[in-house]
Amino acid sequence: MNRWLIVVGREFKTRVRKRAFIIATLLGPILMVGAIVIIAFLAEKATQSNAKVLFVDHNNLLTYSLPESDGVRIPSCTECFPERSYLEYRFTNEALTTEEFIASDFTAMLELDDGIMQSAKAVLQYEVAPSTRVTSGIKRDLGEAIERLRVKNESALDYETYKRLKVKIGLVTQDIVTQDQNVENKTGVGFAFAMFMFMFIMIYGNHVMRGVIEEKSSRIVEVVISVVKPEHLMSAKMAGIGLVGLTQILVWSLLSWILFLAFGLYAESSGLLVGLMSEQGSPVATTDLSSFLEASDDLNVLMQIDWFMMVGWGAFFYVAGFALYSSLFAAIGAAVESEADAQYLLIPAMLPLMFSYLVNLMILESPESMLAVVCSFIPFTSPITMMIRLSVGVPWWHVVISAGILIVTVCLMVKMAGKVYKTGILMYGKKPTLREMFRWLMYKN
Amino acid sequence: MKDSNSSALELLEVRKQYGDHTALDGVSLKVPKASIFGLLGPNGAGKTTMIRMVAGITGPDSGSISFFGKSLTAEHINEVGYLPEERGLYKNMRVGEQAMYFARLRGMSKTEARKELLDWFERLEVDGWWNREVADLSKGMAQKIQFIVAVIHKPKFLILDEPLSGFDPINAARIRKEIIRLRDEYGTTILLSTHDMSSVDELCDHVALINHGRKILDGPVHDLREKARAGKIDLTFRGNLISFTAALGSGAILHSANSKGDSIHEVVLGLPSSIPIEKFLKWVTSEVDVLSCSPKTISMDDVFLRAVKDSAKNKMKQS
Repeated sequence: MNRWLIVVGREFKTRVRKRAFIIATLLGPILMVGAIVIIAFLAEKATQSNAKVLFVDHNNLLTYSLPESDGVRIPSCTECFPERSYLEYRFTNEALTTEEFIASDFTAMLELDDGIMQSAKAVLQYEVAPSTRVTSGIKRDLGEAIERLRVKNESALDYETYKRLKVKIGLVTQDIVTQDQNVENKTGVGFAFAMFMFMFIMIYGNHVMRGVIEEKSSRIVEVVISVVKPEHLMSAKMAGIGLVGLTQILVWSLLSWILFLAFGLYAESSGLLVGLMSEQGSPVATTDLSSFLEASDDLNVLMQIDWFMMVGWGAFFYVAGFALYSSLFAAIGAAVESEADAQYLLIPAMLPLMFSYLVNLMILESPESMLAVVCSFIPFTSPITMMIRLSVGVPWWHVVISAGILIVTVCLMVKMAGKVYKTGILMYGKKPTLREMFRWLMYKN
Repeated sequence: MKDSNSSALELLEVRKQYGDHTALDGVSLKVPKASIFGLLGPNGAGKTTMIRMVAGITGPDSGSISFFGKSLTAEHINEVGYLPEERGLYKNMRVGEQAMYFARLRGMSKTEARKELLDWFERLEVDGWWNREVADLSKGMAQKIQFIVAVIHKPKFLILDEPLSGFDPINAARIRKEIIRLRDEYGTTILLSTHDMSSVDELCDHVALINHGRKILDGPVHDLREKARAGKIDLTFRGNLISFTAALGSGAILHSANSKGDSIHEVVLGLPSSIPIEKFLKWVTSEVDVLSCSPKTISMDDVFLRAVKDSAKNKMKQS
């Protein structure tokens, strides 16, 4: 046991102190958040170039002209077309020809006629496509103008009353048994967990394989296994490297949490939330991040997820999934002498992992389908597919059975991999085939 | 036959099979305590298999191995030191840290390991390398570290597989000295596997020769040499070779003769055990002008080659 721990310690220490690991671990969440911020910033930047739209009102439906205004018209409803930093209108009733448009400084030309009252459609022409922010601004403005016109023409109400009476329905979806709400959004969180799981199993499983190959090809293994039993060396290596992955997950979680809190503090104090909410047209204004998230249709899932349960089971499925796959990788590493030789053996080992990834993409939409249920019981796919099911809520006995099957499989797999490892690790000079590796399983001690 | 208490290691009818290949075919041998025991044999003879068994890496299919009178088990790990032929170090660890790791795997405490290691580093002149990267080590340096790692826990039994390969002559001599010191000062029993016959000549007290998984020869080095010499004498004289040969008559056998010009001849003679060497010397000095006369020098190389040849002949006869 003591020797086993010494080996675990070496595997862990030599990896966590590597500069690449420290940088990736400390900067991982910062880089991820940073990337998001940069993308948001660039997107913002891109839309900041002002759009100048020529509003062509062919039938003078929404505009009128002052005498001697030289074709320039004025909207009947000025508040429908508020001043915006990124969107500016010029109203007329005569369209430009293509040549004229190209020669002009207009970004886009919006044409509408009487038909819009029925079809609710206008034509937007451009040379370079305007950003979605611009088009949604146009849609909102034109929509309000038409709405006002219709309310005025076809009812006795004034617009303010109409607006007050208008309803926008939101659906709160709920599982009748588990009482879980907004299941669709939660799958996103489960998917994120599953992706991290996939990534970590791949990366650190590969570490195990490379570590085994290093020990074999540099012939260190001969000295080590004269002291530590080969199967113990293998399990110690897996444990040490698995711990490295767990450490990274832990640090990332902590840092993300801290970053989230810091962002919350910043957002609450800077009035960013109020701005965001008014832009979204939310009726409430708040300076509190959690009530902001609660009020948001897309983000309220963050408040509804049972993080404790997700992280707890996530840790279990990571450990078990890692043990399962890394024992395969270790056996492959022991059978070959170089990483290049390992490639053809890696493919069959990685197939189930890849398969789980694809299944996840499919069950994202229907986390309670037959496929999802079956895959969450198969030990080679369960560590990854179960995360999606966990996020939307799953009968507890499903998780327990899945975990049980997984644990039994891990024990068998580690035992089998240990046999292959033991035979392979001292065998030099030939590339074993899969069939040969299966034969090693039959060797007695 | 000596009692087994005087043996550090005793193999009895040890057999090991890998698939269709018989690596060891019923080998029995005894390694006396506090001796340097040479394990010789051509490539593929079964030496590595045997060494791996003693090092605790594999076990025999049948037969028994006893270690200082007890059956060899995992409990003896800390009493065995092992320097394999193919050896390496972790690239991502510093020299000292790595040596500490192996010392601790052999059951040493941190403080004890550190103290012993510093001592050895100084003795083999690798002090100052403690905090260096393994990648910076020359091959010879790395070999020294590997040697230290094998002996650091003062094992009762030390297995050295080609310990001198990769060393320059100066460092090879230093390691040879250390091997002898381990036997003389600590009473360490050393199993030395090598192809380098000069180190067998210099170091070994006993040898065993294995070929095709069988032991074909073993015993104390001195006895084996005497046996191989078979009473042969190297004689250099000035005189006439033909009249000398005629004068020899049937008294002794002339094995070979080599003329060096100036009527100087080097001959190898086989003297029957019935003729005492003093009587022969008296006679020969009266016949020719003797320049030198000595028992024929037999190197372990000769012993080795002859034994392998004989075993091949025996095999042919059997088949």
